[in-house]
Amino acid sequence: MGHLLPAEIIEAGRIFAEALAACGDMDALLRVKGAYVGREGSHAALMMALLKAAPKEQKRDLGAAINSLKQQWEESLKARQAELETVKRNRSERSANWDPSLPPPVPPCGALHPLNRLMDRLVDVFRPLGFHVEEGPEIETEAHNFDGLNIPEDHPAKASSDTFYLAAHPELLLRTHTSPVQVRTLLRVAPDLAARGGIRFLAPGRVYRKDEIDPTHSPMFHQVEGMLVGRGIGMQHLKGTLEYALRALFGPHTEIRLRPSYFPFVEPGCEVDVSCPLCGAQGCRVCKGSGWVEILGAGLIHPNVLKYAGIDSAEWSGWAFGMGVERMAMMLSQTPDLRLFFENDQRFLKAMGGLD
Amino acid sequence: MWFERKTLAQDIPAVAELDTRQLCELLASLGFPVDGVAVRDGAEVLDVDITANRGDAMSHRGMAREIAAKLKRPLAPIPVEPLAESAEVISVRLDGSACPIYSTALLALGEGTTPGEAQAFLLALESTPKRLPAVDASNELLHRYGHPTHAFDADRITGSVAVRWARAGEALVTLDGVTRTLAPQDLVIADEAGPIALAGVMGGDGTKVTETTRRVLLESAWFDPKTVRAAARRHNLHTDASHRFGRGADPAMAIVARDLLVERLSAWCSARLTGAWTVGTIPVAGAPVRLTGELLTRVAGEPLSLAEAGEGLKRLGCAVGTHGDHLSVTAPSWRHDLSIPEDLAEEVLRLRGYACIPSVLPPLEGPPQPLSPAYLQRQRISRRLAHLGFHQTVTYGFISPELDAAFAAPGNDTEGRTLSNPLGQEYSVMRGSLLPSLRLAAEQNLRQGARAVRLFELAPTYASGSKGPRESHTLGLVWGGTLGGEDYLTIARPVREADLTGIATALGLARLPVVHALGENLFGAELLVADLPSAGDRIIPWFRPFSRFPSVERDLSLLVDLGQSYEALATAMTAALPAEELQELRCVDVFRHKNLPDGRQAWLMRLRFQADRTLVGEEVDGWLAAALAAAESLGAKLRA
Repeated sequence: MGHLLPAEIIEAGRIFAEALAACGDMDALLRVKGAYVGREGSHAALMMALLKAAPKEQKRDLGAAINSLKQQWEESLKARQAELETVKRNRSERSANWDPSLPPPVPPCGALHPLNRLMDRLVDVFRPLGFHVEEGPEIETEAHNFDGLNIPEDHPAKASSDTFYLAAHPELLLRTHTSPVQVRTLLRVAPDLAARGGIRFLAPGRVYRKDEIDPTHSPMFHQVEGMLVGRGIGMQHLKGTLEYALRALFGPHTEIRLRPSYFPFVEPGCEVDVSCPLCGAQGCRVCKGSGWVEILGAGLIHPNVLKYAGIDSAEWSGWAFGMGVERMAMMLSQTPDLRLFFENDQRFLKAMGGLD
Repeated sequence: MWFERKTLAQDIPAVAELDTRQLCELLASLGFPVDGVAVRDGAEVLDVDITANRGDAMSHRGMAREIAAKLKRPLAPIPVEPLAESAEVISVRLDGSACPIYSTALLALGEGTTPGEAQAFLLALESTPKRLPAVDASNELLHRYGHPTHAFDADRITGSVAVRWARAGEALVTLDGVTRTLAPQDLVIADEAGPIALAGVMGGDGTKVTETTRRVLLESAWFDPKTVRAAARRHNLHTDASHRFGRGADPAMAIVARDLLVERLSAWCSARLTGAWTVGTIPVAGAPVRLTGELLTRVAGEPLSLAEAGEGLKRLGCAVGTHGDHLSVTAPSWRHDLSIPEDLAEEVLRLRGYACIPSVLPPLEGPPQPLSPAYLQRQRISRRLAHLGFHQTVTYGFISPELDAAFAAPGNDTEGRTLSNPLGQEYSVMRGSLLPSLRLAAEQNLRQGARAVRLFELAPTYASGSKGPRESHTLGLVWGGTLGGEDYLTIARPVREADLTGIATALGLARLPVVHALGENLFGAELLVADLPSAGDRIIPWFRPFSRFPSVERDLSLLVDLGQSYEALATAMTAALPAEELQELRCVDVFRHKNLPDGRQAWLMRLRFQADRTLVGEEVDGWLAAALAAAESLGAKLRA
């Protein structure tokens, strides 16, 4: 009696089994159920309408065909529903025989890069003291990278053996430190320095030096620069700030030590050591038994740096520091090879960077 | 630089009272950290780090001077008898100001060699004795007193000697056997036949002292630091002498060092002095520097007495005049780094010890500044992506031109972004795209056995411009490998392009501009951070009312052509629906099967309506019919 049904009903009946098998969950099953035996707009509803309109002599046969089809669909739907419910029950952890210690689905978890994480941490540490973040380009002018920082004309760092230059723009280079951000920022704020009451900022970023790639050298690395300009700023303020910051980073019992050193852009200059965070200054391999590790270079801003930016060094003074992020990360984590930070192996990133 | 403890103690006997650790700490507190300690042939030696501004400390005498000043203990006098100056035996002429003083002597050498003690001293400092007294004595004096000297074989000098600028085309074979073409900026020692030494850097091979040398002409001069530095750099010839002259030697040592050298040659090999003479004079010291009590107090962080400061500076060799509120200070001839008041303040603090500096938090004079929205936005993006399973990478800003070409925007020529002196061709172009670096990192991870790789980088990309490359903060994303299948609830499937597209919504975008297929099941996208929506100025957005009436959801299964654009279909359907009530319209399932009509697929469209009232069935039916009609106008059909 199938010939009495329209082609699309026959076709629908033909793919019914497949459609049913494709239902992975109750939602999908309900959609199929709606399309086939639903009260409105379904194949069954259409057939009932056909039956109503059919000539009297066909009604009997047609009715039987329709009923058989509907019954078949309904039974199959019921069976599939039971199947899906079983699956669902099986998957329910409340089910008696389901071991809740089976590994659950784990949400995706990425990681921040450890170097970025460390830089973020430094920013967090300095924020309560009123420091904000300044940034500058990685392709810099010779003036910002060297001249504005009291670096002499014939300084060896300017040589093409140490610094990358742009072929088409010989006056441009890849910044060799984050210090040009000092120059840019001071030039920008100089006119309204008094209204601002000085300035204090951090400048984290990527820098480049012409070093071959090996376990302790990389042609690109990261620095965090800190600078403060105010009235009557001296070495005591540098020491006070660094003591606060390094204790915030390494713990309240951390001690710091300033040693005289030399950088062209500061005077006086110093290296800053921190009591070894790995052994608590007891003496270990990292601090070579001394209890101290060198952590950054700093000093009071050289008057020529202020002068270059148009700031009167008789009225204003300040301090600056710069630290190597990789160096600190390697020290803290005891990562044996600098190149790991640039290989971007997810296992390393997950373990070292993670998430806050 | 290496120092022998025993020799230091000859100049400053107090060193003998310190143990090694105390000595190391003392030196570090003065700005000379000790990198290592060794014992060589019974002699303790220290490897001391000396900053570039302290050429004066690059000798045992110089370091002893520092220790003496710090410990307030006396420095032993230099054991030397000044020689009587004679008339010039060989004429020496000084051209220009780069060599203001040149002290010399002519000696006839006798029998004898370098004494064992001097040889041991040189060996302890990692310097090889040549067993030629004139050479070894000069070398010993360099380490001992920091003043470079030189001995020429006098019998190989032609006529008179001049210290002059090299002439174009002149050449010199230096002691290392290399022929150097000289530049007019090179200061040379020349005889009448031509250059015999590159001043302050290295002697010439033709006049060097050998076993057969009978007579020597000594040189103990002072050369302009800048000139020496430039020559050393020009000829890539960095020597003990150029390091010291280049950082500024002590002009007052010129005559003293000659006298010491003559004394040693007399003692070591019975040399007989023919004559000792000096041309030129010691340059006059610079103007005194004024150090006020105010500046000293500001730098030191506490009031320091000027008298005490002056006393410390005197211990360092400065001439100090006291004038009530300030000192006028003249640096000693060996210090070239004391030219501004801050330099002097540093010296005062250095002698007191940086440990004495008080620790004070700087007062806040003005309001602090907030973090910039651009910085915060990048922080937010990083965190969001990390929470979505992406790993942040850090890759080099330079890549090879070949890699760059694959993704750099058309018109972004590489010439403007190329380095003149790269580490190698593979690191020569400032990248126009992050994708090449991200692809390499992703492939590396997959090769290493990662099931899935999800990476992002936030870094600048570069676009060539007339004034140099422009930098733009860029976000790059790659996603590849397999998704799911790591637990009993999800099924494994390959990563699809759509997975990456879906990330767009997490970044606040409706869609990603372009998704690149970077490999099998590996997709990448990149966009400028400036093109991402920012949080705006509002702390939280304006309140938008929402309906509390139930929503109605209806599905429409549509048969559409395989080539149908979803966007076109969705746009057409949306346009036919009431904007107020339509909450959502999206395709929630795609069904492709051989049983479907040829060239067709089925899209299950889910529509959700809501209003500030209960929606009635007829109303929704009407909308559904309108949506279907719009779909049909594009060739879609309701799937039976």
